[in-house]
Amino acid sequence: MVTQDAQTYAYKILVVDDEPDLEPLILQRMRRNIRSGRYAFVFAHNGVEALEVLQRDTDIDMVVSDINMPQMDGLTLLEQIPKVDPNIRSVIVSAYGDMRNIRTAMNRGAFDFVTKPLDFEDLQITIERTLTHMAEWKEALQSRDKLVAIQNELDVASKIQQSILPTSFPEGDGYEVYGNMLPARNVGGDFFDVVLLENDKIGLAVADVSDKGVPAALFMMSSRTLLKGSAIGHGAPGDVLSEVNDLLNEDNETFMFVTVIYAVFDPQTGDVTYANGGHNNPLLVRPDGSSEELPMTGGIALGVMPDLEYRQNSVTLHADETLVLYTDGVSEAMNSVGEEFGVERLQQIFLEHPPTTARAANEAILKAVSDFAGGTPQSDDVTCLVLRRTGV
Amino acid sequence: MPEGDVRIMEINTERDSGTLIAKTGGRVDGTNASEFQDALKGAIAPDDKAVILDFEELSYISSAGLRVILLTAKDMRTANVKFAVCSLSQSVRDVFTISGFDQIIDIHDDQQAARSAVSS
Repeated sequence: MVTQDAQTYAYKILVVDDEPDLEPLILQRMRRNIRSGRYAFVFAHNGVEALEVLQRDTDIDMVVSDINMPQMDGLTLLEQIPKVDPNIRSVIVSAYGDMRNIRTAMNRGAFDFVTKPLDFEDLQITIERTLTHMAEWKEALQSRDKLVAIQNELDVASKIQQSILPTSFPEGDGYEVYGNMLPARNVGGDFFDVVLLENDKIGLAVADVSDKGVPAALFMMSSRTLLKGSAIGHGAPGDVLSEVNDLLNEDNETFMFVTVIYAVFDPQTGDVTYANGGHNNPLLVRPDGSSEELPMTGGIALGVMPDLEYRQNSVTLHADETLVLYTDGVSEAMNSVGEEFGVERLQQIFLEHPPTTARAANEAILKAVSDFAGGTPQSDDVTCLVLRRTGV
Repeated sequence: MPEGDVRIMEINTERDSGTLIAKTGGRVDGTNASEFQDALKGAIAPDDKAVILDFEELSYISSAGLRVILLTAKDMRTANVKFAVCSLSQSVRDVFTISGFDQIIDIHDDQQAARSAVSS
């Protein structure tokens, strides 16, 4: 393991931005982590300066870079960084919803992005996520060097998967969100994400990548990042899936694909608009525990072929109604006699115990699935993301 | 791989005037999809003019299995070989429908229908 004592291990982060005010701002907002010794920051004002710093200071773990800068821009810098040190991870600071630059940055090896104006809390979450990923990645490289067994590669893949899942959920007036995943031991490619959008709307995604191992985990990572980027750039879920599908189809030589359900929730009105790329349809649970599957919108999984349109549909979530997004690991979980869990059993959970909170609903589902499976080995990840509108 | 998780993939094949009919049973999921892929690749001969996957005895397919179908369909299209699947159980058909694969893969109710589709 690379991580030693997380409290005292210092990560050195290079921030590249031509805006002179950023340096004091970062030093001020990140002061707690600087004082504790977790982060150390160095600064450069354009790509050329950044490369000079990187060549001089070989301790740098991570780069946070603006895109538009004099002399050498951030996208050109991204191309140069691996030549100095392939283990450095980069995060790009982009304009809101600037998918073209975000995609270029991803293609050039950026790990993630944050948008302007900088939200320092978001920046810190992104830095932590990147550092976690970096540790896993270094471990992956070491295991590859040692030519260890497939199982090790799968362990690494599952750590990459864990590192991209949200660890906290937004809290707002009138709604709750909670998601969790029971990973299968050696297969599975589920992920979920919750994204804060303009006008206090919330984007919710649950997805399932078609393969396992490190390449699938990397495909998962780029699916998640593209989805997040597209989500904050567009309003309409159909447009988001269409754009991510096109981006995933560029240079998809592995023919991996990902099924995605993507929904946008407006806490003001309770409206949920969703589009579906080949994924299980969400379940809408009423206060009395009765439920129904939302109507199909008929989309194809993302990454299969370009130029697809994704139809979308809207429903209104009323007070105490709950929306359950899940993967086929829930509906297709198998018991010892080969029966599938199925949607009816999922619905039965809430008929007996109507949901009281998003978290309780989530836990009830995961528990019911694992009780049903008993000792039968889990052949797929079991993932569930719950949105609940509370009393208004 | 952990103990007891590996299911051996078997594909039974027959040929009828240039059409390969490959039958597979049991489950195709993340634990054996790459075996399924290898078995299928091994079964298809360069001079096959059409390939039909008969899923009558297939009880379950996961997205990892669908990826193998997709790969095969793309390979066959490149090689100008006709490709169809047939005899899906309801639950396997549901997987094709939910993923949208029913819109891109040629699916037939039974082998007879698949044979006449690929020979036309």
